[in-house]
Amino acid sequence: MNWRDSSQLRDKLAAAYALGTLAGPARRRFEAVMASDPAFERAVSDWNRRFEPLARRLPTQQVDEALWRRIEQRSFGSASRSEGESAIAPLKSLTRWKRWLDALLSPAPAAALMAGLMIGIVLPVSWPLLDPATQQTELPESYVGVLATAQGRPGMIVSSRRHGRIVDLKRVADIPVPAGQTLYLWVLDANGDPGAVGAVPRGTFVRIELPQEAEQIFAKAVELGISLEAVGAAPAVPSLPYAYRGLCGKLWRAAPPPR
Amino acid sequence: MDVDHLDDLLARIAMQDRRALRSLYEGTVARLLAVASRLLDDRASAEDVVQDMFITVWTRAAQLPELRSHPMAWLTAMVRNRSIDALRRKRPEVPMQWHGSDGETHQYDAPDSSGSPLDQLLEMQSDDQLAGCLGALDDEPRQAILLAYFEGLTHVELARRLGRPLGTVKAWVRRSLGQLRECLGEPA
Repeated sequence: MNWRDSSQLRDKLAAAYALGTLAGPARRRFEAVMASDPAFERAVSDWNRRFEPLARRLPTQQVDEALWRRIEQRSFGSASRSEGESAIAPLKSLTRWKRWLDALLSPAPAAALMAGLMIGIVLPVSWPLLDPATQQTELPESYVGVLATAQGRPGMIVSSRRHGRIVDLKRVADIPVPAGQTLYLWVLDANGDPGAVGAVPRGTFVRIELPQEAEQIFAKAVELGISLEAVGAAPAVPSLPYAYRGLCGKLWRAAPPPR
Repeated sequence: MDVDHLDDLLARIAMQDRRALRSLYEGTVARLLAVASRLLDDRASAEDVVQDMFITVWTRAAQLPELRSHPMAWLTAMVRNRSIDALRRKRPEVPMQWHGSDGETHQYDAPDSSGSPLDQLLEMQSDDQLAGCLGALDDEPRQAILLAYFEGLTHVELARRLGRPLGTVKAWVRRSLGQLRECLGEPA
């Protein structure tokens, strides 16, 4: 019997893992399996939920402010920064790439699922914009971003041909934009550093004209974010939090040429 | 802190809202620190674990959909798992039997009653189903489950602590988890 296919055995291993009695190399092996098999992850999650009432029985601990300051320092880079300043979490480039790849490659995470579903929606919408010669085969090389709202719902679809000078944006979920403000598109590179793209016009299906080829602007983008900025402003950094945020995908087969 | 509020905070954290991280911290840190402190029995190490957990939430909230569906269970599990890893790095497993410098074979066999305070935790007023299901287990197997949960003991450590053969303890834990599964059913 293949132990991966036995739900009973899976549940027993998940219980031992969640309780903590699975130890040593077996624990590490189980974690590797769990990372690649959502059924194991669900089984562990179920046991975590069953056990969680036990944790609530422990008397809570007094906490001093120093712990928060350390978290703040490591999360935001500087505890002394004020709310509105440049505040993208400084992540190591490898970590961010891994997050991006994890989200795209793992079997079930919402980001990947959402990307898959939304690409299925956006492509037919964009179809008429594409070169007729390629419609019957595959998309031309494109950048595609599927951005979520703060509530985790699909919010904005962003696409541009790799060598085009137009970014199309389709608003799937509206968020209120206060008078005097506008949505503003940013690229985020692997270090989390933002780069301004431009103000997003009002409307459901709108476009931004780029001053140069999309490749020059999006090549290093790992994520896209849309913030709220003052109308007419040319901000150097986004006002956080983002109104929409999501992964930036590169839709082409060949690896990009070395830069 | 109710689930809807936690869900809202986590959504905002995914959008890099710092105030949301602060609110999550204020609403959960005392409880999460209690879990880590109980396992590690060392305040500084417990704070390190909790700190790492919040940083993971800040950097990965958007990639962890399960965090949104059952936030407190997930946060607690993350703290427990990290604490257990830290504990086992610090406290390597000790075999049940060993050969001393005198050439004799020694083994742990002293019963230890230090599990009893755990029962006090169970006896606290609570309407959760888990307490009822744990209460239905026999005393020693229940002790084994509670020691594993609250102190992160492995089978070998449980056997040593409870002064029972390793095989017996393994069978207790296995059977008890089966009974709990049957008693608790699918989680709500």
